[in-house]
Amino acid sequence: MNAPMTLPPPTWTTGSTVVFKTGTWRSALPLHREAPSPCREACPVGGEVAEWIGLARRGDLRGAFRVLTRHNPFPAVAGRVCHHPCESACNRSAHDEAVSICRLERHVGDHALAERWPLEAEREERSGHVAVVGGGPAGLSAAYQLRRRGWRVTLFEAGRRLGGLMASGIPSYRLSRAVLDGEIERIVALGVELRLNSPVATPEAFDALRAGHDAVFVATGAARPKRLPAIGATTPGVVDGATLLAAANGGAPLPAGERVVVVGGGSAAFDAARSLRRAGRAVTMLTLESRAQLPAQPDEVDEAIEEGVAIVDGAMLRAVHRNNGAGLRIDACRVNFTPGRERGRFEVQPLPGSDFAVDADTVVVSIGQDPELSPFAGAVEATGGLLAADEGQATPTAGVWAGGDVSSLARYVTQAVGMGERAALDIHRWLLGEPRPAALPAPVPYAAIAHWYHPQAARAASPRRGAADRLADGGEVQLGLGAAEAVAEAARCFSCGHCIACDQCVTVCPDLAVRRAAGGGYEVLADWCKGCGLCVHECPTGAMAMQEERR
Amino acid sequence: MNPAATGGTTAVLLTGNHAVAWAARLARPKVVPVYPITPQTPVLERLTEFQAAGEFDAEIITVESEHSVMSACIPASLAGVRVFTATASQGLLLMHEVLHYAAGARAPIVMANVNRTVASPWAFWPDQTDSLAQRDTGWVQYYVESPQEALDTVLQAFRVAEQLLLPVLVNLDAFYVSHSLEPVEVPPQELVDGYLPRFEPPHRLDPAHPESWGNVVSQDMFNRHRQAIEQAFAKVPALAAEADREWAERTGRAWGVVERYRCDGARTVVLTMGSMAGTARDAVDLLRDTGQAVGLVKLRLFRPLPVAALRAALEGVDDVVVLDRNHSPGTGGVLHQELRAALYGLPGAPRVHGRLAGVGGVNVPVPAIVRWVSDATGSEPRPESMWVR
Amino acid sequence: MVELLPAANEEPVLCSGHAACPGCIDALSVRHVLAVMGPDTVAVVPPSCMAIIAGPQPYSSLTIPVYQPTLEASAAAASGLRRALDTQGKHATQVLVLAGDGGTCDIGFQCLSSAAERNEDMLYVCLDNEGYMNTGAQKSSSTPHYARTGSTPAGKTTRKKNLTALMAAHGVPYAATATVAHLADLRRKVAKAKSMRGMRVLTLLIPCLDGWGLRDDAGLAAARLAVDSGAFPLYEVEDGTRVTVNSAKTRPVADYLALQRRYRHVAPEQVAALQAEVDEGWERLQRQAREAV
Repeated sequence: MNAPMTLPPPTWTTGSTVVFKTGTWRSALPLHREAPSPCREACPVGGEVAEWIGLARRGDLRGAFRVLTRHNPFPAVAGRVCHHPCESACNRSAHDEAVSICRLERHVGDHALAERWPLEAEREERSGHVAVVGGGPAGLSAAYQLRRRGWRVTLFEAGRRLGGLMASGIPSYRLSRAVLDGEIERIVALGVELRLNSPVATPEAFDALRAGHDAVFVATGAARPKRLPAIGATTPGVVDGATLLAAANGGAPLPAGERVVVVGGGSAAFDAARSLRRAGRAVTMLTLESRAQLPAQPDEVDEAIEEGVAIVDGAMLRAVHRNNGAGLRIDACRVNFTPGRERGRFEVQPLPGSDFAVDADTVVVSIGQDPELSPFAGAVEATGGLLAADEGQATPTAGVWAGGDVSSLARYVTQAVGMGERAALDIHRWLLGEPRPAALPAPVPYAAIAHWYHPQAARAASPRRGAADRLADGGEVQLGLGAAEAVAEAARCFSCGHCIACDQCVTVCPDLAVRRAAGGGYEVLADWCKGCGLCVHECPTGAMAMQEERR
Repeated sequence: MNPAATGGTTAVLLTGNHAVAWAARLARPKVVPVYPITPQTPVLERLTEFQAAGEFDAEIITVESEHSVMSACIPASLAGVRVFTATASQGLLLMHEVLHYAAGARAPIVMANVNRTVASPWAFWPDQTDSLAQRDTGWVQYYVESPQEALDTVLQAFRVAEQLLLPVLVNLDAFYVSHSLEPVEVPPQELVDGYLPRFEPPHRLDPAHPESWGNVVSQDMFNRHRQAIEQAFAKVPALAAEADREWAERTGRAWGVVERYRCDGARTVVLTMGSMAGTARDAVDLLRDTGQAVGLVKLRLFRPLPVAALRAALEGVDDVVVLDRNHSPGTGGVLHQELRAALYGLPGAPRVHGRLAGVGGVNVPVPAIVRWVSDATGSEPRPESMWVR
Repeated sequence: MVELLPAANEEPVLCSGHAACPGCIDALSVRHVLAVMGPDTVAVVPPSCMAIIAGPQPYSSLTIPVYQPTLEASAAAASGLRRALDTQGKHATQVLVLAGDGGTCDIGFQCLSSAAERNEDMLYVCLDNEGYMNTGAQKSSSTPHYARTGSTPAGKTTRKKNLTALMAAHGVPYAATATVAHLADLRRKVAKAKSMRGMRVLTLLIPCLDGWGLRDDAGLAAARLAVDSGAFPLYEVEDGTRVTVNSAKTRPVADYLALQRRYRHVAPEQVAALQAEVDEGWERLQRQAREAV
């Protein structure tokens, strides 16, 4: 081969600089990589919030429903009663206001019910039979996750109906019966075998259950009301809050008495107080916690006040006496409340000279509940009045998992749903012999969001029905989002850690080293990328990161 | 009277400047960036008059300086369009950087330069230092003696320039040529159209076929580029001669590259460029009349110096008296020194006598030339140029 | 929500493989200007960073023809080129100058002024990185007050020359400022300028990573701060008189200075002086905009 080498001409260009592989300059390469959003990390069910909000934003509610129900079969319920720690973690709150994630979930959930979309099962039947004990949120969640993976599931519920505290504890003005029943039926329709009116009440019954199934999930809840030390067990005119709510929600008559004092500051206490207001009673609440410290959600407190509930905060009941004539006299005093590190632990310091009295006909005590652990004695370890369970909800006893109020002081509905899911996944892996998965990486912080690309926009308003209407008809208090409102609110989501295909990375590269990939998404052209990091810095969703390269 | 309209050649009384303007009009350049400077201004004014009368279809760009003139010329030429301009003295100097640029760009621009003294101090007299100081820039250089020669040479320049892709400078002495009036044969447009083929460069700035000019080069590329320029320059004398022959066939006028006037049998030869050649012609006639064997070699093409033709023209000559109307400090007369170098090593080379005769535009009368020739003939030449008056 | 820009779908005019520094805003700006201008364009690029980015012979990083003049001659070269194209009937072909602030405001100002006076038909883009960056970051007349450069190590003692005002004073059809950090505004202005005839002058603020002392990924952030602080307001002047302001002044100039090493040495009283200059300039611009209505 003796062809003469043609020398490049000294003038007039003949080619393109693409022949220079400037990729050799860099020491780090940008990657498009999905990372958890902070809302996902905060979510009690580990929901892929950025993903389903993204689908909702594009108008694909069915897609959003599918993503939501990967982890939570109760979106319409959660959208009404969840304490939304996702919103507290939301990166948008550093920009203007947190995204209204809870109400968006409600929007998707309500739409799914209206459209009668079923839950989808993942695969064919497996051989393996799991017993779920307890038909509340934890049990139903576990039954759902196991059943959709093909396992045979039998759910044992002590009572007449499913739902647990969602049915008996949360009033219908907060959670419509139709909505709850619709979401429960959808789970059962997957083929969960039900045993209603079937308590597992003794150790023998529990042993038989274990022997008859490949795995057992205990989610029997906490139904034993805590008692006020100042009040005897049989003091007349004193009613336990859970019993009162069960009656209110079950349509049974409420205890007599015009004037009611409700002791307690949590959601259950407020539910009791507001249910009584709807029954036309005069209600005063005594809470140990100050207004700012109340465990109930701020919306609930505001709504209660609008409905005419009187709140005496930082107050402790000392004694209940019969009044001469009719009714009761409650002796109380003001206190300083110091919350402890754990829920349930606290310090109360009575303030000298702050004694006062309240007249009432009925006292409702709503200060929390404890689980009934006797059926599990000798079979499952208990600590601090709760069944012991690890991060996968596994108890120390092989083949037995526990979740919800029976094993945790985390008493929100969605926390129970999350525990049910974790238990089911752990059972699933255990039955298949698979290891537990690694933890998720750290979520995307606000600093990683190119927030200057997101115009400021106020959060969707959260209108409530008027207090007079609410009291009159007992219907739902919070209104849902309209379709356009929902899209607008979904558009406020930063989509932290999830690419929204905005092409910004393509647009800001001085070397044209990022392009749309043929099958969707993007690719970084390693031949030319100089590793400057502009794409990562300017990504509006924090969906890129620099990866150091070693040669 | 409009010579172009008559369809035939017409003799018109024209100054050198106006003859240049006519040649520029006939060559049909499309872009003429130009800036006025004494004594070139009549060139530009005549062209704008032609344009205003609808007789000259070109973009005349009146930029704000001569540097901008040449800066505008180059990319216009590289776009594939014929370009012409004119300047003088300070203007030419101001263009110096861009003259190099044009040659490196292989842009076949034709420029007429009126040779005027270079400041400081300020003066407006005939002196060729301005263009001779550009002798390293890579421009082909002609020097003309008369308005007729100016017209003919501008047109020949386009032909040579476009054949070789080199810029060409046509020089005419201030006032002696630029402002002197004589009958000039102005050829018809068709003759010129036949003489100058369409300008179609192989590379050009054209979005339809994108290629760029000016990107930074390697040492090797720069070296090869200079060699290519040198190779083009090597072809100039032959192509200039051919262009002159072709012109003679069409018009009957031949100017040559090196003109030998009454050189047959001459023992002493006067050698010069530009308007002094005319005076020297008269001096040669006088000397011949007195029986002296004296001739004139008029150098028309200065760059590239036609060494072979010069050696041939000076064969058998004993003394050459070089008359320089220019001054390079420390060197003396440019033509003198270049001729010495051109003749170095030639067996039997003549004695070369350099005379700084017309520096600053001083008058060079016939008797003076006669005296210089007599004094130089047979005398020992000095290596340095001598000042004479 | 984030707006989807057309950039991903465009045929590139600037190619990869060029020698710009990683993160170079000059290259990024030119990429977008060229994308709007399209293939029927010839560029004029004098010695500058852009000339190096244009590629080493025989390779070009632009898919359109580029002519490189001497440093002081861009507007003159562009004039000659424009007229030549016109004689060839290529009236739709755009002539685009991509020159630095040195080649525009200093050594190139004379021929720019002349081209503006003649209202030559070209789009002249000044890539203003506020210094002679290609030769090692020496000052230009476009360097702002107090900035440290290779030839003003103690900070420049004079103010930045206002090229847009100077061009407006020539009465050119369109003079405007823009920056690639406000991409939609930049592209709108290039498109608008492209649709016009005559002398159109766009000054783009180009934060220079090496010259200003910025991180590789901070070029756009610096430009945003320049705009938001009013140090580089975005505005347009049509026919020398009609002023439209396109940006808002929302941050103190100290925020902008804090990002750049070239201001690391400034004293508090100099920062205050800069703030006063910026405020005064902003007020003047607002007045001109009001008077234009």
